[in-house]
Amino acid sequence: MYVIVVYDIGVERLNKVRTFLKQYLNWVQNSVLEGELTKAEYMKVYSYLKQIINEDEDSIFFYRVRDKMYLGFDELGSRPAEIDTII
Amino acid sequence: MDTMRADYYILQDGILKRKENTVYFENKGERRVLPINKIYSIYAYGKLSFSSGVVSYLSKNGIPIHFFNYYGFYEGSMYPRETLISGDLVIQQAAQYLDDDKRMQLAGKFIEGACGNILKNLKYYSRSREDIQKNIDSYISSIESEILRLPDAHSIAGMMNVEGRIRNIYYSALDEIFPEEYRIVTRTRRPPGNKMNTLISFGNSLMYTTVLSEIYNTQLNPTISYLHEPFERRFSLALDVSEIFKPIIIDRIILKLVNKNMLDDNCFRGEIGDMLLSDKGKKIFLKEYNDKLGTTIKHKGLKRNVSYKRLIRLELYKLSKHVLGDEVYKPLVMWW
Repeated sequence: MYVIVVYDIGVERLNKVRTFLKQYLNWVQNSVLEGELTKAEYMKVYSYLKQIINEDEDSIFFYRVRDKMYLGFDELGSRPAEIDTII
Repeated sequence: MDTMRADYYILQDGILKRKENTVYFENKGERRVLPINKIYSIYAYGKLSFSSGVVSYLSKNGIPIHFFNYYGFYEGSMYPRETLISGDLVIQQAAQYLDDDKRMQLAGKFIEGACGNILKNLKYYSRSREDIQKNIDSYISSIESEILRLPDAHSIAGMMNVEGRIRNIYYSALDEIFPEEYRIVTRTRRPPGNKMNTLISFGNSLMYTTVLSEIYNTQLNPTISYLHEPFERRFSLALDVSEIFKPIIIDRIILKLVNKNMLDDNCFRGEIGDMLLSDKGKKIFLKEYNDKLGTTIKHKGLKRNVSYKRLIRLELYKLSKHVLGDEVYKPLVMWW
């Protein structure tokens, strides 16, 4: 599945969340990562984050689509990061 | 399933670092974060420096890096420690090699598979190009009669001869299909002599490394091979298996690139007689290659969609089964 993760995390825990997510997903904007995950990987990411955040203060959204092709996407402005696999 | 991991092709010069528990690629103009859990293998075409941590980190995660030199030729791989080890399979693999009859049987299968796919390619053009249909059909029938000679070959060298002749006929047939500036004429390597030879060389070394990455993910030993001699300092099993996939993947990509006019003069550098792909050419080729590996087709036996990359792995599983005596190996010939 294709997953977009958007987060708003307290500064003390921010780095932990960010570095963890970067091991699985591509960073596309401040506090936004996206990429292809298997079901198992998704569960892993989800449950790990659940453990380390403070559920009263932090917020994380996971947007999922079965396939990237079902995702409508438009873009404006200049891109902060490329995610192509040919570098 | 590992097809969810991506291959990364790095054409630029730069540094690969371990940082924040993942992999960073950096150079003057660029800084990319590669998610460690999403890397399948890395193809390094540029000059790549490593920080000390990254090599062990990649190995730990079972990610091979394949190196290509400035000219796009394969140089070697950083092949992580084998984690899938089966002594039994290795012994059986060697036993197949040592028994002449069994070795010849397997070697023949690789040629059979390669030729089956070669014929598929030609038959496609015989159907779709009426203007050259007659010529192609005559090449097809001479390849078919060469294949019949395969059982008469009593040595590996004899089989290689048959294979060599078939390949020559195949290249002549392709020359009918390609426009003039893309004729192969004769196959030359190191350096490739003209555009088509350049494309074939580039593609074949890619194919070899992709098969090698797949072998890494099976219990097969990459040095014990059947058609090619295993005592060369190469992972020759990857050479054997890539014979089957070259016509399916590489030749089809080249035919597409040429027929759809996707390459221009800026895609090549050097002169005739010493022709190489430029960065632009490499990029176009690699994009097609990556897309091709990800393309899925309906598998008859498994009754589900599998990618071309997965087909390579399935081929290796079939080979393991054959070696272990479970099921006789039948090479993949395109059914689509």
